[in-house]
Amino acid sequence: MSPVSAGVNDTDDVRAAAAGDRQAFQRLYHLHVGRVHGAVYRLAGYDHARAEDLTQDAFIRAWQKLPGFRHESAFGTWLYRLAVNVALMDIRARGADPVSMLDDDHLPDAGEIPFCAAEREELQRAISRLPPRARAVLVLHDIEGWRHEDIGNELGMALGTSKAQLHRARGLLRRLLGDNS
Amino acid sequence: MSEFEWLRQMRQLRRPLVPQRDLWSAIDTALDDIAPPDTPSRPAPGNTLRRRWLAAAGLAASIMLVGGIVWRNLPQAPASVPVADITDMTPDPWKPADPRLSGAAIELDAARMELQLAMQLDPGSAALQRLLDRTMLQQDQLRQLARQPG
Repeated sequence: MSPVSAGVNDTDDVRAAAAGDRQAFQRLYHLHVGRVHGAVYRLAGYDHARAEDLTQDAFIRAWQKLPGFRHESAFGTWLYRLAVNVALMDIRARGADPVSMLDDDHLPDAGEIPFCAAEREELQRAISRLPPRARAVLVLHDIEGWRHEDIGNELGMALGTSKAQLHRARGLLRRLLGDNS
Repeated sequence: MSEFEWLRQMRQLRRPLVPQRDLWSAIDTALDDIAPPDTPSRPAPGNTLRRRWLAAAGLAASIMLVGGIVWRNLPQAPASVPVADITDMTPDPWKPADPRLSGAAIELDAARMELQLAMQLDPGSAALQRLLDRTMLQQDQLRQLARQPG
C-alpha cells in the first residue's frame, strides 16, 4: 500500500520535525504532498478546493501527531493513512449531502461506449458522481489497492458491506460510462 | 471486461498530484498558532525502574493528600451530589442508533476531545479553533444525517 515512499530516506527529517524543526517538516511536506494530495483529491470526488483544505488539515494534524510516530512503518505510509482518515471523516460527515448523492434511478441508460474507451477525465468525472461512501470504497479498493478488511476498519463497516458497496459502485460507474460489457 | 483489465485501468488513476496552489504557506501560518510538538520522553532503560517507582510514589502521595483534604472537609460537604448534576458535568458521547454512523460518531467525538485538550494547552490557537469548529460542524452534519428517515 506504500510503494511511493519506498526508497525515500526521510528518517532524519522525521526525527527533526518531531522535535519541532519546521524546516524539516517543510521538506517532508514537499516530499510527500503529491501522494497525499492525490489520494485526498480522489476521495474528495476530484474537488480541488475541498481536497486542498483536507490536505492542509492532514499536514497540520501530522505535525501535531508526529511525536507519537513510532517508526514502525515508513513515514510516508503513516502520513498517507492519516490523510486518508481525514478525508474519510469528511466524507462520513457529508454523507447526507444531496448534491453528492446519486440514485440508481437517475442514472442514464447504458450506451455503447466501452469502458476502455473512456478518457481519464471522463472516468474521473463519473467517479466524482458516485455516492460518497460507494466512491470511497471504490477509490480505496480499485485505485489505491486497499483490502476490504482495511476499508471496513477505516469506514466502520463490515467486510461484506464493503464488498457490497464496491459492487454497487462498479455497477454505477459502468452505467455512468455507458458500458454494456 | 475482466476483473484484471478493470483494475488495470483503475490503477492508472493512482498517481501523485501536486495541489494547484502552494499549501505550505497556509500550513506554515497555521503551525505558528500551534505549539511545537512535544518530544516524548524516552528514558534510558536503566532509569525506567527508578522512574516507575518515583511515579508510583508520587501517585500514592497525591492520593493520600487528596484523601486527607477530603476527609478534613467531609463534615462541611453536602451529604450527596444529585446524580443529575454529575451526568450534566460528564455528558455521555452521542451514540447514533444507526450502526453505519456509530463509527464516525465515535471518531468525531474522539477528535473533538483531542482538539479540546490541545486547546487547553494552547488556548489562542486559531488553527486548532478552526479544526475544532470543523469537527463540531461535521458532528452536527452527522446528527442531521441520523435524524433523516431511512
